[in-house]
Amino acid sequence: MKELIPFRWPKEWTDASYLRWLKGTPINCLVGEHAPPFPLGDYEFVKWDPAQPPAGVTIREGVWPRVLPASKKDAAEAGATGAAWVDSNAGVIRLAQTLEPGKPVWLDYTAPGGNEIVPLDRFARAVAEAQAYGAHWIITLSPAFSVGLAKESQEAAAAWKRIVAALNLFQAHPEWKSYEPAAVLTVVSSFEGEAELLSQEFVKLVPRRHLACRIVRTQDLSESSLRGQKAVVYIDAQPPEGEVRKKLMAFAEGGGLLIAPQGLAGGEPAEVKIGYRIYRAGKGRIAAPPEAWYDPYLLMGEVHQLLSHREDVVRVWNGPDMNSHFVATPSQDRGVVHLIHYGSGLTPPVTLGFQRRYRSARVLTLEGARTIQPFPGGLGEEFPVGEFASYAAVEVMS
Amino acid sequence: MKPHAMDSGRVLTRRQAIAAAAGPYLAAVAPSALASSPPLVSAARCASYGEAVMPVLRKMFEQLGGIGSLVAGKTVAVKINMESPLRERTGFRPAWYSRWTHPDVIRAAVALFAEAGAKRIRILESSCEDDHPLEENFILGGWDPDKILKAAPNVEMENTAGLGYGKRYHRIEVKGKPYIYPGFDVNHSYVECDVMVSMAKLKEHRILGLALTMENMLGITPVTIYGESAGYEEPALRPYGRRTMFETGYRQPSEPSPKEVDPHSPRDPGYRLPRVIADVLRARPVHLAILDGIETQTASETVTVEPGLGRKIRLVQPGVLIAGLNPVATDAVGAAVMGFDPLADRPKPPFERADSFLRLAEEAGLGPRDLSKIALRGDPLKDLRFSFREQL
Repeated sequence: MKELIPFRWPKEWTDASYLRWLKGTPINCLVGEHAPPFPLGDYEFVKWDPAQPPAGVTIREGVWPRVLPASKKDAAEAGATGAAWVDSNAGVIRLAQTLEPGKPVWLDYTAPGGNEIVPLDRFARAVAEAQAYGAHWIITLSPAFSVGLAKESQEAAAAWKRIVAALNLFQAHPEWKSYEPAAVLTVVSSFEGEAELLSQEFVKLVPRRHLACRIVRTQDLSESSLRGQKAVVYIDAQPPEGEVRKKLMAFAEGGGLLIAPQGLAGGEPAEVKIGYRIYRAGKGRIAAPPEAWYDPYLLMGEVHQLLSHREDVVRVWNGPDMNSHFVATPSQDRGVVHLIHYGSGLTPPVTLGFQRRYRSARVLTLEGARTIQPFPGGLGEEFPVGEFASYAAVEVMS
Repeated sequence: MKPHAMDSGRVLTRRQAIAAAAGPYLAAVAPSALASSPPLVSAARCASYGEAVMPVLRKMFEQLGGIGSLVAGKTVAVKINMESPLRERTGFRPAWYSRWTHPDVIRAAVALFAEAGAKRIRILESSCEDDHPLEENFILGGWDPDKILKAAPNVEMENTAGLGYGKRYHRIEVKGKPYIYPGFDVNHSYVECDVMVSMAKLKEHRILGLALTMENMLGITPVTIYGESAGYEEPALRPYGRRTMFETGYRQPSEPSPKEVDPHSPRDPGYRLPRVIADVLRARPVHLAILDGIETQTASETVTVEPGLGRKIRLVQPGVLIAGLNPVATDAVGAAVMGFDPLADRPKPPFERADSFLRLAEEAGLGPRDLSKIALRGDPLKDLRFSFREQL
């Protein structure tokens, strides 16, 4: 099935001449409430009706990706992390992919309106963010952007060029789509009922800590989904039962760390760590919290500590307003780290470190590509990625 | 107020519990070395980290008369300098080349303390970001803490930003007339020790001018009580935020910790911060001060410079280690190595924005800042001088 790359036809574009902006780009699907009144050629049209989303596509409402603007002088909105609050679509996309596996995910949102002026070059970040997580943003230009293109303004044309560069970058690397998240932690949950808020917020928050994870819905849990994993956090109100319990216990007994609500193990714990009772289970361990979880941010920090930052598959320095998403082949001999910068301007010089050794790396941005060489770091080899504007892909090879 | 049960079965208030808890330990912390006159300070050339550090530091300790009498059979607390943000670097250079005490210096000192008979060595730092175990924060920065933990037997780490591994805070009181605070409540590690070592980076400070071994001791105060997210009714459960109250006095510490002696005193950070340092040092004396100036940065103690300062951060290699048995004397030598006059005071460099903490500490009886009153050992000062303000 052909992959559709959606673009919302601007109402300001009133005739077929505007199709020139799409010509030669990967965009192949127009979205709108009504089909434009002229022949569309090879472009597929998808009628937009929120009540009846197109078949075969998962639609999710997204947010304009960015560091939230300052509400006080010189201060960005602070989040639970204490760092500036970032609006990101990473969790929404990954949850959609987990809950509706196999279906393409489209994000539906527009740039902020009102008094807020959004620089046009930020639209490329929205495109790249969705693509990095294997989804598509329904590219929706602001009125200023579409009018700017209609008038052939330099600023709009340059911003459009960046959007096309982002699309082309991902089109040139179809292998990235076949890669799986590189992680040693798996989040298992029903993602509904009592666990819905906690589990879904957990998944939304983890990218900000650069805590890599796989996400598995409870009913989809299989032995293969835990292969190569060092820890599982089972986020539900009650401990697992039946087949799920058997699989998770087998994981722990085989040497893994199972973090789950109280009730899987009893008696005297082997140790107590950050309040968690740690029980031996075969070759592995079961960690039970001192009380029922209620705060996804605290839970995330606790899981990261129980696992240890030592197990981070990728480490990011100078990336405070950044998500990292590392996907790789099953053997992890090749992979790519998607870095999405949510702040404005250039990043500081970014450095990446990896759990395993890679021979070389290539940095691909919307501006170009370059090869970088590793240098010895305190925990292994590190790669000097350097500065970039909104998005960088770092391809690594063993 | 919640009552706190004590071992005797007596029920005390939280305030009484904190104050009473410090009592048994305070007698053990009087620094005999402070009495030595003139105080010994050793400064030496050390061109690089790695294996080069240990022999230089060993010789420096010998020049101080040996550390055996100080640490043998004792619990040694080592307050290191690990400035937040933990994941930020100066360019591509890890923080230990610019803002943190380099782990190689910590490791060498730990090995030498053990060699001299230390019973237990505890590496301490409080994070403004989190309550992770300190080991995790080394990893966040990109260093393997095992390299320090395995440098000697009985080496431990603790993040002292909050209660840490302790069950309650402990009161330490300022000896003599306090400038700002009569005392502080701190993590157990700073009273459950026999020897206090401050091991800092040779670097500048946006307010104080210099961030050396004395400024490093501000970090013994828990973020849960003195940080921006400190509780009001009681210490916060988790630490977050800088100790802005020390700078601006915009609020008082969490209950029941000691409040300022004069809440109407100037709120100028340049007035307050150097005085708070002198208060902390009189409440928790330092027996051994070590400055890592092998590699560092100019202009700031963080990854950013104060707007309007007109200077940029430069990574530099002064190639110097300094150690002394008195923190004021050690910092005075550090100031001189950095190209400043330790006898200078506001508004002369480096004290353009603050009263000299060296002068205030000296006046508080903590030690001399006049180089003529310091017994300097090691390499001649003129050979070690590295002017920070000339690094453009």
